[in-house]
Amino acid sequence: MKQLSRRDFLKTGGIALLSTAGVAAFSKMQPPSTSAPIMQMDHHNTDAMAMPVGEVDHQRNGFNPSDILTDFDYGTVSTLPGGRTLREYDIFVANKDIEVVPGIAYPAWTYNGRIPGPTIRATEGDLLRIHLHNDSSHPHSLHFHGVHPAEMDGVPGTPGMIEPGESFTYEFDAEPFGLHLYHCHAFPLARHIAKGLYGAFIIDPKVGRPPVDQELVMVMSGFDVDFDDVNDFYAVNAIPFHYHQHPIQIKVGETVRIYLVNILEFDLINSFHLHANFFHYYPTGTSLTPSEFTDTIMQTQAQRGILEFSYKYPGRYMFHAHNTEFAELGWTGEFEVIPSGA
Amino acid sequence: MAENTFSPVGEKRINLKTTVLLILPLVILGGVIWLFLTTGGGLLLSQPIPVEALSVERTVLRPGHIKVTVRNAGRNDLQIAQVIINDAIWPFTTTSSAIIPRLHTEVVHLDYAWSYGEAYRIRFFTTNAIPFDVEIPVAIETPEPNRSTFLSFTLIGLYVGVIPIFLGLVWFPALRKFSKQTMTFLLAVTAGLLVFLGLDTLVEAIEQAAVIPGSFQGIGLIGIGALGTFFLLDAITRRQIAVGRSEASQRLMLAYMIAVGIGLHNLGEGLAIGASFNVGEIALGAFLVVGFIIQNLTEGLGIIAPVLRDRPGLGNLVLMGLVGGVPAILGAWIGGFTPSPILAVLFLAIGTGAVFEVVYEIAKLIRKDTARQSMPLTVFSGIISGMLMLWVTGLLIK
Repeated sequence: MKQLSRRDFLKTGGIALLSTAGVAAFSKMQPPSTSAPIMQMDHHNTDAMAMPVGEVDHQRNGFNPSDILTDFDYGTVSTLPGGRTLREYDIFVANKDIEVVPGIAYPAWTYNGRIPGPTIRATEGDLLRIHLHNDSSHPHSLHFHGVHPAEMDGVPGTPGMIEPGESFTYEFDAEPFGLHLYHCHAFPLARHIAKGLYGAFIIDPKVGRPPVDQELVMVMSGFDVDFDDVNDFYAVNAIPFHYHQHPIQIKVGETVRIYLVNILEFDLINSFHLHANFFHYYPTGTSLTPSEFTDTIMQTQAQRGILEFSYKYPGRYMFHAHNTEFAELGWTGEFEVIPSGA
Repeated sequence: MAENTFSPVGEKRINLKTTVLLILPLVILGGVIWLFLTTGGGLLLSQPIPVEALSVERTVLRPGHIKVTVRNAGRNDLQIAQVIINDAIWPFTTTSSAIIPRLHTEVVHLDYAWSYGEAYRIRFFTTNAIPFDVEIPVAIETPEPNRSTFLSFTLIGLYVGVIPIFLGLVWFPALRKFSKQTMTFLLAVTAGLLVFLGLDTLVEAIEQAAVIPGSFQGIGLIGIGALGTFFLLDAITRRQIAVGRSEASQRLMLAYMIAVGIGLHNLGEGLAIGASFNVGEIALGAFLVVGFIIQNLTEGLGIIAPVLRDRPGLGNLVLMGLVGGVPAILGAWIGGFTPSPILAVLFLAIGTGAVFEVVYEIAKLIRKDTARQSMPLTVFSGIISGMLMLWVTGLLIK
């Protein structure tokens, strides 16, 4: 309890006087037992919820989270002697101001000018050549989660850590199948990740996954816009509340597969909760058999997994982090389930 | 006329040459500014990263609604981008615009179902991603200015300012019976009380100055308010003495001045009480009120100390009591309905200046007394007693 100064004493004395004076106006200040629910019923707009004012300029940002959902980068495909598939990708690192919430431009670091970076997608056993070009003002790298030689690991002391103006080609086999991710591994690591250098990395099994009606990518992250190493805003695919303002449309009965990656810096865990429904969950996507049938899963940083579900009833359904603080700071979206005939 | 410019110093006339000499530095200054703005004067002057400052002047809570008055205290215009309440981004509207010009205020409205007695933290994010926080430690509905709240604030002022002082004044007939030396002792006690109050007011002024926007230069404001009041009151007394008043009427005037000084001090206290409703600081306890009355009783005692040997008359006594006490009511009104941190600093500074000037006047009076009759320990013990009185009553209630 804080120490009372004379001034505080005067204030408290004054308030004590008020209450002893028993003036009718101040009887309001006493907490009548019914006040809370009445207040919520009478004065509170029941539709009120956490929400930013306005919308970010997607055009100026250079990407729209609605497009990122289904934007899979299969690379430039060619066939090697012997019949093996070669996929080549070009990734450019650049400093770029991104309007993360309306009115606040964050001095981000980006892969290909977007957050998250391109969703790299390949099939198990392909040969991958990823050309990284550093057009920024800091050393950066690509560090893939997967199986590869040490010199392709993109950490300090390996050739994959490149200076501004330099380029490097990471070459390795696509293995194991599953849902992975990549991020910059330059130090200070937390800052390099928090600034926006991350993306999803999908390796499909040779046999493929069962066909679904929609495949979506969701990368969970946050933004520390005032650089105090505490996230100020949270989101899937970078822009807070985007899928709340622009719900993802699916049809009743349609099968949906979500590739969900958590790269959230500074906070220990993140989570995903689906409203009025359950989903099959494949941790890391390395098995074709789901491990769980649930409506909420938890991921720490770099954990990821695949969700599969379909909706039985039409309507609007929220999905959000069940760390509700994250949800109200931006990590909230909606599915708009439309009747199958529509 | 040229030779006149070299005439003796005694003759002072403003001629053309003086005018030119007066204007010349200004012309050079203009040139320097122009040079600096066009060339940078050899310095690499880049547009600095904006240093923004947003200060909260007032929060008003109504059922389902929070209204925050903010002031742009920075060097440039500022734009509020988003508002976060207790870790939730919340939609907001502004009365005129989210872009606030320098030193201007703006009212931010939030439709938010706050609950009685809970704590809230509101964070304003500017477009430069700089956060500014305001805390509502205990949420209560802000009283609206109407007849009953007006009456309530009046009652507070009455209890805090007027009644204790009048209680002190009631001692007048009894204290008159004492010797001259005891009366001098009481004067010294008053001086001690006032020094204590003056220090208290000064500290409050400095505390307030720390929370107002830097551009308003709170400490400078205290200097202006305190020294201005001190020397203004000093000039008034010297004038009164110059017109040749009797010693008795000078003492009466001193009593009035003590009343004014205490009145200004009470104005500051009233402001603090009134303003406390906006931050929702609540603590119940009638013993605090009682302790408060005991402490302020001494203020009435201070007012009558100089005129104990005279016959000031009931009218004068009542008037002095009102001068000392009623400002507490005024302060409560101002603080309760239109609290302004900047105004509070100024009032507190004026109070400080007034209180210390009165101490100075009492010192002069005591010196007259001690010149007539030597009483070396009376003054010392009086001043220490006065300060200890407030310190000890303070101990009882804090």
